[in-house]
Amino acid sequence: MSGHRVFWGGASRGLLALFALSAGVAPAQSPQSPPAVLAVAGDVSSPLQLKADDLAKMPRETVSVREEDGTAVQYEGVPLREVLARAGAPLGKELRGKALATYVLAKAHDGYQVVFALAEVDASFANETILVADKRDGKPLFGYQGPFRLVCPNDKAGARSVRMLETLELVRLRK
Amino acid sequence: MRCIFRVLLTLPLAAWLAPLCRHVQAGEAYAWNLPKGFPKPNVPLDNPMTAAKVELGRYLFYDARMSVNGKASCATCHQQELAFTDGRAVGIGATGEPHSRGAMSLVNVAYSAVLTWSNPRMKLLEEQALVPMFGEHPVELGLREGDGFVPMLRSDPRYRELFAKAFPAEGDPFSIKNVTRALACFERSIISARSPYDRYHYGGDDGAIPESAKRGEILFFSQPLSCFRCHGGFNFSDTTVWEGRAGREVEFHNTGLYNLSGPLSYPAPNVGIYEFTESPRDIGKFKAPTLRNIAITRPYMHDGSIATLEGVLDHYAAGGRTIASGANAGAGHDNPNKDSLIGGFQLSAQDRADLIAFLESLTDDAALRDPRFANPWQ
Repeated sequence: MSGHRVFWGGASRGLLALFALSAGVAPAQSPQSPPAVLAVAGDVSSPLQLKADDLAKMPRETVSVREEDGTAVQYEGVPLREVLARAGAPLGKELRGKALATYVLAKAHDGYQVVFALAEVDASFANETILVADKRDGKPLFGYQGPFRLVCPNDKAGARSVRMLETLELVRLRK
Repeated sequence: MRCIFRVLLTLPLAAWLAPLCRHVQAGEAYAWNLPKGFPKPNVPLDNPMTAAKVELGRYLFYDARMSVNGKASCATCHQQELAFTDGRAVGIGATGEPHSRGAMSLVNVAYSAVLTWSNPRMKLLEEQALVPMFGEHPVELGLREGDGFVPMLRSDPRYRELFAKAFPAEGDPFSIKNVTRALACFERSIISARSPYDRYHYGGDDGAIPESAKRGEILFFSQPLSCFRCHGGFNFSDTTVWEGRAGREVEFHNTGLYNLSGPLSYPAPNVGIYEFTESPRDIGKFKAPTLRNIAITRPYMHDGSIATLEGVLDHYAAGGRTIASGANAGAGHDNPNKDSLIGGFQLSAQDRADLIAFLESLTDDAALRDPRFANPWQ
């Protein structure tokens, strides 16, 4: 499980282009730390507002990723599929037909956004465990990383391991 | 700069650019003692780190006899207390000739994929050292092939001892090649990793930096500002390399500092990597240096044209600098080569203070006073 970069400092130029700022003047976000609530919203039957205590009661896993210096770091949290399943996302046997045209929009406190096809988080399609992490090496995430972040152990670049994760929005393209 | 290359080509370059074979050298292995978060630097196979070479390099680095008139050493432009910069907008050589660009910090230079502001080909410290030593445009140290420098080394009792320890397998170790090897080893040893931010981020010391700096960190790493996209990673710089990780394609950036009318939008001779690539798209593109110790390395940018960190924030917040009048007048915001990341942003007074506090938390006082990096002649 290598390739994850906490800082994403080495993002490729292609990724940089994706992140490019618009020509206008972008307002800075509040410098305050993001709220300790993770919203699960969009085309789900049971929208959620999850706090750290809620995540602590859900099925938890740990994934190991490599830091830049090669040392292993343990991220702990709840698999993204568990979070989405609790909100009523069509997973498992329900993930077929039109449901396969569904994606997850992950939004960060600072406006950063990435997407995952829903099949990427379903165990019958993908082997990877994408984690909604709240701890790193046993300690709560802090600063610009937390309090929640995604960890995608199998991604070669770290750019989808969204820091300061605030919202998971499910979007069904075909209903 | 091309003239410098001509100088280098007159030297026995084959001697410097030896095949990358394993060069077995005796001597005490160098202990990096790197803290958490810092990978082991890349070291050329033909110049492995040893404690003896690092020590020899330190003596050479601070020795003004390595200049045409005994008035300058490497440390003249790379002063430890200023994070190995000189506090000037542009460097001044031994003969008083000004350089066209500012002296870059040598802190953590071992991780740099490229070494200078705008030379995409300069990647080895062993080669780069020849430029200040022998370069003529401008004259920095002003040495000449065949002058008295090497004989001085051979006759100095201290250097006789230091060279013998550093290069024990060589009968006559007194050569420019070995001087550059030792200098490179010393420069690679200058690691800055003990700032308050390091204690906070890597050490888990929540009280190591003020709350203002923590807010500034979040801003620095935020999407709207995106400072970290060019000043990222553990070294807060662009492309870095270390052992086991080859460098990616190195990027250079036009940040909209200038937008002159005419074919060159940046004032000559500082036209960025265009000087080497001759591609008009590369005019004004320079390296994004490390931000470690940035609070004490003013003035800023490649030509020292911004005096303060506040001024740097103004420049980036505006999405480029506008110069109203004079020879450099123009709206940098509209430079056709400007990096798409330089889009501008709004900052409150509190945001500014927080960002400055964060940048100040990157000052590593321990490195700036570390006796291992200090002048051994004093």
